[in-house]
Amino acid sequence: MTNPFTASPFVGKTFGVTVEHLTKRYGKTTVLADVSLEVRPGEIFCIMGPSGSGKSVLLKHVAGLELPTSGSVRIGHFDAADPATRNQVHLALVFQAGALFNSLSVYDNLALYPREHREADEAGIRDRVMHALQILSLEKAALKFPAELSGGMKKRVAIARALVMEPQLLLYDEPTSELDPVMSATLTEIIATLREQTAVTSIVVTHDSTLALNIADRIAVLMDGRIRATGPTADFKHHSDPVIANFLNPVIDLQNPRFKQLEQSHE
Amino acid sequence: MNNTSQTIRVGLFFLLGLALAWITFESLNGGRIFKQQGYTLVAGFANLKGLKTGDEVRMAGVKVGAVKLTRLAAHRVEALITIEPGTKIPNDAVASVEQSSLLGSNYLGVTFGTPTNPLLQDGDEIKTKPTVDMSEVIAQLGSLGSKLESVIGEVGQALGTGGENGNLFQRLDQLVTANGPKLTETISNLQDITAKIKNGDGTLGRLVNDPKMHDELLATVTEFKSAAADARTFMADSKTIVADLKSGRGTIGTLLYDETTAANLKISMQNIRDVTTKINSGQGTLGKLLADDQLYRDAQGVMKKADRALDGLSDQGPITAVGIVANALF
Amino acid sequence: MKHLLAIIDSIGCALVLLWRSAKHLGTLPRQFPRFIEQCYLIGYTSLPIVTILLFFIGCVLALQSGYSMENFGAKQFIGTLVGLTMARELGPVMVAILVAGRVGSAITAELASMKVYQEIDALVTMNIPPERILVLPRLAAILVMMPVLTIIADLCGWFGGALVSQFTHSISVDSEAYFTALKAYMKPHDITDGLIKAEVFGFVIVLVCCHIGLSTRGGPREIGASVTKAVVTSLILILVLDYFVTKALLLAT
Repeated sequence: MTNPFTASPFVGKTFGVTVEHLTKRYGKTTVLADVSLEVRPGEIFCIMGPSGSGKSVLLKHVAGLELPTSGSVRIGHFDAADPATRNQVHLALVFQAGALFNSLSVYDNLALYPREHREADEAGIRDRVMHALQILSLEKAALKFPAELSGGMKKRVAIARALVMEPQLLLYDEPTSELDPVMSATLTEIIATLREQTAVTSIVVTHDSTLALNIADRIAVLMDGRIRATGPTADFKHHSDPVIANFLNPVIDLQNPRFKQLEQSHE
Repeated sequence: MNNTSQTIRVGLFFLLGLALAWITFESLNGGRIFKQQGYTLVAGFANLKGLKTGDEVRMAGVKVGAVKLTRLAAHRVEALITIEPGTKIPNDAVASVEQSSLLGSNYLGVTFGTPTNPLLQDGDEIKTKPTVDMSEVIAQLGSLGSKLESVIGEVGQALGTGGENGNLFQRLDQLVTANGPKLTETISNLQDITAKIKNGDGTLGRLVNDPKMHDELLATVTEFKSAAADARTFMADSKTIVADLKSGRGTIGTLLYDETTAANLKISMQNIRDVTTKINSGQGTLGKLLADDQLYRDAQGVMKKADRALDGLSDQGPITAVGIVANALF
Repeated sequence: MKHLLAIIDSIGCALVLLWRSAKHLGTLPRQFPRFIEQCYLIGYTSLPIVTILLFFIGCVLALQSGYSMENFGAKQFIGTLVGLTMARELGPVMVAILVAGRVGSAITAELASMKVYQEIDALVTMNIPPERILVLPRLAAILVMMPVLTIIADLCGWFGGALVSQFTHSISVDSEAYFTALKAYMKPHDITDGLIKAEVFGFVIVLVCCHIGLSTRGGPREIGASVTKAVVTSLILILVLDYFVTKALLLAT
């Protein structure tokens, strides 16, 4: 069987993403403050940061699910906030919890997109879906419902669903969270393989430093809604900024535990 | 959920709904969802008496349409009425505003007209007649009432004389109260009898309906007369006995040779003559009773007779008033 | 003031939702299976409760009106009263209330959970407008199913009333007299008015419940809150709209 992903016309038409002075506020809370990023076409870009730093919100801006308070997000030269952009850019977002349609079987979850967009007849859709399932070794789960799947399988199904869309921009939200180390490694390999096969721009939001340091081309670290550092992955292996170094490679220090420091800083 | 069975169920359910809707409309309106337009007639009146849009048009009490519009035209008011399709109204049918209840809801009544006449077509004008205004009727009823009152007053005066138990009405009242059920029975009997009289059944019926019976009646009256003579004798006897009792003498001889007794006898003879005369005139009363519509006055006479009979026979034990009245009348 | 603005905002959002759904009207034919599924969930599965409830409403209506009309000797009009009340008022309103409780809550719960678990976001990123596959089939289904449910409800109510009128000793109006009285004053537009009312109620219920479901924010706890809000709003809207729709229909005839 030919690989529909390498054979399809979207390959090579992948997009870069430009974030300029993006600020997002919910009421009085500032979640993102003047964030600027440049993601080049075809690379794996990891956005790292501790929980609550606003990295998922940043990803939602790229996907057009949130509108910026100020600043802009552009995919190629399209405005991400404009709903019409989705007609131009095949964009797939792999949600943290999978966000599978609970009322549909795995097969129907995957088939929904081509069916709704009438991209192929039922046989063509079947080929595409089964191929995507094959890539992620999910053929046996095709007729199961999302509620019957484990966390790791849900994430794989979510990735398969993204693949069926033949994306020109792949966004991953915490692909390895809540997974055991082996499954994390598997998913990391999947992300890298997919990029190799399809050359699609991938933005991965994660706090898993193993994933980021292994497959990312470039990394940005987001802390408290601001970019703390950005650069090629090599820079982050031994970063000069102690905060980032500590974040990427936290040392367990039982003599001076961190939660005590947190308490002190709050006082 | 099997998709096919779901589709079938939804389909069946929808068809069921359609069928029910169709049945409902069918039974309400002969299968038409929106009422088929009938034809329109114009009815002109001097006064519509509050007939309004939506009121019914009835032919012999059956609804055949509705008032669509009321409007003022030159020197009259017009009601545009919609008649249901299929209702045939000849051109001599007459419309009038009728009142369906005293509360004031009106309808437009239409008479049948002559079936052979040409039928009214859409836009034609229907003949009308001025309507009897209920308030006028009530006013007339009022004046009629006052006249009746005065008449009854006079009648009351006329009847209110004599009688030891007060006037006639009081006694009638007592009589009715005391003998309610019997009266009812009597009246139903009377109805029976009247019906029979009408049909020519029974003696009286034949008497009324058959002129040949007149002779027999005369014969009967003659018999009646002889009976009256018997009664006379009986009365005389009784008077004698009474006189005997009064005077304390026990023998007829005493009766014959006593002056007081003779005087008594004279008085009783006079009485008997009175009675005879009255019985004689009773023939006329009976005739009048059957032929004349002035029943009431005759009845009054009978009543008075009954009254006197009651006076005379008051010591003859309890006889019901109804019995007397019935006897006196028949 | 804040509440007033919130209400106006909700109305506006619901209308926008309606507009967005209407834009996808052309996709309805190929969403036929989805439409049938919604018809099944909205109409078919509501049938038992509608039948039972409206039957007993008809019964109690006949019982109560028999009791009160006896006082002025109008028992022969029980059929008229039950018939017109069922067709014009109680049929559509009770069906709408049942649909709000049974279907509206389900719609809100489903859409709210889809929203909370990011399924809606997933649809948006897949360039499948949620209005198209979630709202439009439901709106179409309720428009088809409401008249069916209402006519069944009307008939159940009428027969309930007839049974009670005939077999209640103190009323004893036989069913022939009952239905004669019912037919005598019932015009076809009384029934069509009822069906129009039911359509309006059903449409508003589904629109409001979809809107509230789709605008849920936060965690699973908010799903319950949204359902409560949707049902309460639907019930209020049914009864408020009932007045205005009735008024408009009376003016139109």
